[in-house]
Amino acid sequence: MNPIEVSHIVKSFGATQAVADVSFAVQRGEIFGLLGPNGAGKTTTIRLILDIFKPERGTVSILGGSMTEAKKDRIGYMPEDRGLYQDIALERCLMYLATLKGLSKVEAHKRLEDYLERFDLSAHRKKKVKELSKGMQQKAQIINTVLHHPELIIIDEPFTALDPINTQLVKDLMQELRNQGTTIIMSTHQMHQVEELCDRIVLIDEGRDVLYGNLEEIRRQYSGNAVLVRVVGTLPSLAGVETISYHNGTTKLMLMKDTSPQDVLNTLVAENVILEKFEIAIPSVSEIFIRVVEEGDR
Amino acid sequence: MSKLWLVALDDFQRNVFKKSFILALLSVPLFIGFTVGLGAIMSSLKKNNAPVGYIDHAGLLADPLPAHVNPSEKPIEFLPFQTEGEARQALESKDIQAYYVLAPDYYETSKIELVYLKEPGTNATRQFYNFIQINLLRDQPPEIAKRATAGSNVTLRSPDGSLEFPTGGPTIGQIIPIILSVAFVFLLMMSSGSLMSGVVEEKQNRTMEVLMTSLSPTQLIGGKVLSIVGMSLLQLVTWILVGLLAVAIAGNVLGIEWFQNPSMEWGTVLIVLAIAVPSFVLSSALMFALGSTVAEAQEAQSVGALFFMLHIIPIYMIVALVEAPNGILSVVLSLLPFTSLITVGFRSIFSVVPLWQVAGSVAIQTLCALGALWLASRAFRLGMLRYGQRLRFSEILGKAKAVSTKVSLS
Repeated sequence: MNPIEVSHIVKSFGATQAVADVSFAVQRGEIFGLLGPNGAGKTTTIRLILDIFKPERGTVSILGGSMTEAKKDRIGYMPEDRGLYQDIALERCLMYLATLKGLSKVEAHKRLEDYLERFDLSAHRKKKVKELSKGMQQKAQIINTVLHHPELIIIDEPFTALDPINTQLVKDLMQELRNQGTTIIMSTHQMHQVEELCDRIVLIDEGRDVLYGNLEEIRRQYSGNAVLVRVVGTLPSLAGVETISYHNGTTKLMLMKDTSPQDVLNTLVAENVILEKFEIAIPSVSEIFIRVVEEGDR
Repeated sequence: MSKLWLVALDDFQRNVFKKSFILALLSVPLFIGFTVGLGAIMSSLKKNNAPVGYIDHAGLLADPLPAHVNPSEKPIEFLPFQTEGEARQALESKDIQAYYVLAPDYYETSKIELVYLKEPGTNATRQFYNFIQINLLRDQPPEIAKRATAGSNVTLRSPDGSLEFPTGGPTIGQIIPIILSVAFVFLLMMSSGSLMSGVVEEKQNRTMEVLMTSLSPTQLIGGKVLSIVGMSLLQLVTWILVGLLAVAIAGNVLGIEWFQNPSMEWGTVLIVLAIAVPSFVLSSALMFALGSTVAEAQEAQSVGALFFMLHIIPIYMIVALVEAPNGILSVVLSLLPFTSLITVGFRSIFSVVPLWQVAGSVAIQTLCALGALWLASRAFRLGMLRYGQRLRFSEILGKAKAVSTKVSLS
């Protein structure tokens, strides 16, 4: 049983259909990317998963069935609109929210010590939340999401306001949690983070899932028939090449339908060309995202 | 500990240490303390325990009986002088604070002269007149002497004859219902105001969505209401204790007769309590709804002030209520939500409020409170995730079309 199974969910607010038809499943122990342009229906989908809204049609199964009060303690959620009590000390705020997730005060305190240390927030524990920088508040929010060791984490834009060092810290944490078997749904617009972290994705556009599956398979699916080549000297004329383009010293060869990358490689070797780089051109998630969304708009 | 109690405890701890709550908690004790203290100071300024002289040309005080002195007062020493010259000399050397001269024809004219440089203390004047009375009545049987010195005994009756006041006005026990009513109004406005601020705060802090994935709405609302009840009880108990202490000090230490042997009209107190409970629920639910509806705390406070004005309308109509405690206006204000509590408390001083009006008031306020709870739950559901946006009243009443464009989508 997958931790999350979403089947043909529909949700409208009056005349606006926020989610028209979305289906996907999230497997245990994976980082799953929930992607889509602004206003695509991602947040509404998350709120439907978490039972904040009820779907008009379709079903949501979370941790093996409908949402219950007991299940809430097994889920960590960091919403798009960050929420911490601004007028109280960071430590007290996180302790309170942790006890609401079912942790005892002793256990919450013990875990909080470790996380504050890890995220370099120990010195700021007594400061009011509003006195912390945006980046610190973001780290505090992440601590709040993971402190009770949930088996399912839903996290919206985890890298906002983080510098490269803290971004790496959060990425390491997410990978560590995945390795421990935690399931993570990550909604983000930072496509390079998706490429680096996500195992599978769903792309939502105008309330519908338009792309869903294993990230590598999707990239291969959208790779087309192209290779990236860098050689010493001049690239000879090659048969079966449709177009040639250059970028930062690398040549991109778009191949004809009946020409394979292996054919090109064989030709280059036969021509005694010294190769510095030869790779099959796979599009970035960002390119796929733009292509799919633009196709949808057409 | 259940989540409901965790919310209640955290909310309570966060609010009771806020300056606004501490100020509200101390406001009534400070007001009482200030009033009693000022009264005590004024009273002590008017007292003077120095001896008082007298020249008795009438022969009334040849072998005088002592005055009856209130146990809380120090007896004044009365010094006889043979001549006014001796008395004046004693006055100028400040051995006495004043002296009285009883004329030779005092028995016929009751003429008595008081000579002083600075007005004598009220205690000295009072004790001297008692001294004269006692000695004038020395030949009378004790019961007649006692009755005569007790003076006149006027009984005041309310216009409809349903209530009587002993001497000079209502007793402290008779005005307790109105004190309780006003205290409850302040209490429910402060506590429901805190509840409203709590909800607005959750919205402003964007914590609502996080909380909704940790708690049920019932646990969140129930916890906050429990916290408010706790804060209200803390205030009420503090105020009652300070009030009792003030009465004890005023009655026993300062010797103010009005505060001595206070007796409570329990029936009237119960009536006030019966109306106060649904009023509390009504105000809290409305403030909760308001908190869910508005975008900012400042906006909520402005609207909340209007509710406070509704509660104190009877105070502005106090003359009409005194003139006709059972008139149409009094009855209408007793039945209406918001105005009922103070009106009934106030009318109870001057008349017996008919039971049907009390029952009607409780019923009307209970119905309104239930409606307000429904309104609050709808406003909460619709408004909890609308950060920085105001919810219109028409939307709460179920016109879903209007809601559609407002809920944040992505």
